[in-house]
Amino acid sequence: MKFAPLILKHLRKNWLRTLSTVLAMAVCIFLICTLQTVVDAVNYGLHLGNASRLVTRHYVSLVFNLPNSYKNKIAAIPGVQNTTIVNWFGGMYRGDMKYFFPNMAVEPEAFLQIYPEIMLPEDQKQAWFHDGRGCIVGRKLAEKWSWKVGDHFQLESFIPPYRVGKPFDFIVDGIYDTDTVKYPGTDLSAMYFNYKYLYEATGQRAGIGTLTLLIDDPKNAGRISKAIDAEFENSDVQTKTETEQAFRASFIAMAGNLALLLNGIGLAVAFTILLVTANTMSIAVRERQQEIGVLKTLGFPSGLVMALVLIEALLLGLMGGALGLILAGGAIHALPNVPFIGDVVRQFPGLGLSPRIVSYGLGAALLLGLWLAWCRRCWRIAPV
Amino acid sequence: MSATEVANKTTAVSVQNVRKFYQRDTMQIKVLDGLNLEVPQGEFLALMGPSGSGKTTLLNLIAGIDRATSGRVLVAGTELGTLSEGQLAKWRSRNVGFIFQFYNLIPVLNALENVELPLLLSPLSKRERRERAMTALRIVGLADRSKHYPGQLSGGQEQRVAIARAVVTDPTVLVADEPTGDLDHQSAEEILDLMQTFNKEFGKTIVMVTHDPRAAARAHVQRHLDKGVLTN
Repeated sequence: MKFAPLILKHLRKNWLRTLSTVLAMAVCIFLICTLQTVVDAVNYGLHLGNASRLVTRHYVSLVFNLPNSYKNKIAAIPGVQNTTIVNWFGGMYRGDMKYFFPNMAVEPEAFLQIYPEIMLPEDQKQAWFHDGRGCIVGRKLAEKWSWKVGDHFQLESFIPPYRVGKPFDFIVDGIYDTDTVKYPGTDLSAMYFNYKYLYEATGQRAGIGTLTLLIDDPKNAGRISKAIDAEFENSDVQTKTETEQAFRASFIAMAGNLALLLNGIGLAVAFTILLVTANTMSIAVRERQQEIGVLKTLGFPSGLVMALVLIEALLLGLMGGALGLILAGGAIHALPNVPFIGDVVRQFPGLGLSPRIVSYGLGAALLLGLWLAWCRRCWRIAPV
Repeated sequence: MSATEVANKTTAVSVQNVRKFYQRDTMQIKVLDGLNLEVPQGEFLALMGPSGSGKTTLLNLIAGIDRATSGRVLVAGTELGTLSEGQLAKWRSRNVGFIFQFYNLIPVLNALENVELPLLLSPLSKRERRERAMTALRIVGLADRSKHYPGQLSGGQEQRVAIARAVVTDPTVLVADEPTGDLDHQSAEEILDLMQTFNKEFGKTIVMVTHDPRAAARAHVQRHLDKGVLTN
């Protein structure tokens, strides 16, 4: 303890260098932890898809719709138990993208059968089934906007075929919950409404964005997918059918290999910061060589000098790591509320700083600290 | 008394047939060549000689910073060649006070903390350390500058702080390497006065390396080194 002031004085005296070193480390740890958390959440989300559900869409792109006539043909294929249209509506609340939340047009009864994770009281279910303008909203969304059953609100889509000159009017028929243990991936910030409403309001121009199928056995997924796509192989509009997991993966892959991209950017930035930090430290090393030599001359044992340098460097690492983790925690907490990005990351139930990521961050910070200590190479410095 | 504590008690420093070589690639550079030197307790010795004559090397051997290639160096009864690196460090902290040409104060510590630094290795309490450091500063006339950092002191004041740091542990030997080399005439005189005071009033044995004849004149004995050999 009697050597603590010596260590702290060094950190305080060159406060600008200490601050810049800590900030550089914090940015590194922030990037590593945030990106790793997002990548983990993406991977976790991908594995949550229900193996009994397939998704059929336009072969070329999600941008194009399938003809409505496909629904019955697909439903007739052996092994398909139920189907529901799920169309991304792209509705903006209050006409502003910053209030955006996921909203989809679905076929209510089939939808609730295929998605058991969407849990509604029976009376709300029945109200929704019989209300053309009715919708259900997730608990989090309802709480965010203080919506109650019976409330009205409007959405206006940014997708051209769904823009009909006036906003769509909706009535909250139900507020859904889920069993977070059994269905951890369920988004409680989404809104679902009746596809019929969309179909009629657009003058019957709305097609099928995606068709979600419930199949009899996950083992038959490959066979059924092939059968569906083969059915439309020679038609003008070909289909692509895949498991819900694969669909989620391909949806995310629209932005390229997300994990590779995120990690690539993160590591490149982190590496650059490390180089800058190394340069700063090499200057500091030169300054401190004489001082370390003096301590040894005065009789400070090499081990003690080494320990002082190590503790100082580890303290820097720890401060940088802690700050980086706080920043990462804040960013991850704020991410779901960021327009667009928030809509994507809300799909990932695993989003959050896990103990594993925290240990990664702290480990990386301490390694950086050790590296700083190594930079000083105090064991090589002889008495002056 | 241990086997290494064999020297005569009245002899502070005894250098016996010491050779020191440095290896540079395949070439062996001879720095000290069979050197013998006796420094009685309480003596103020000035080592003089041209650059490269081996003065600082000899001082480093006496201070336990470096080791002789052969021969024996005994300081305060301890043969330094028999001590391990760790033992040598501990020995230095108790027996040697260092005064450097460029003061070598720790810039992040104030004057009092710099003087207290060697005492951190002792079992003294914080209060005792502070009291001793303050006493040392008072002796060198800088009690009123105890909270000043090295950057806020003049060269002469820095050297006085360095002297306080050197004497605060009450060492057997004070070694000084060009203590006035970086000072103006007035400051140099003050520093030499101070060293004389420690020698006369506190009985400290001082071994000083210097190029300055006026500094050397303050010592009891002047020895000249040339090419690793004492010439007088």
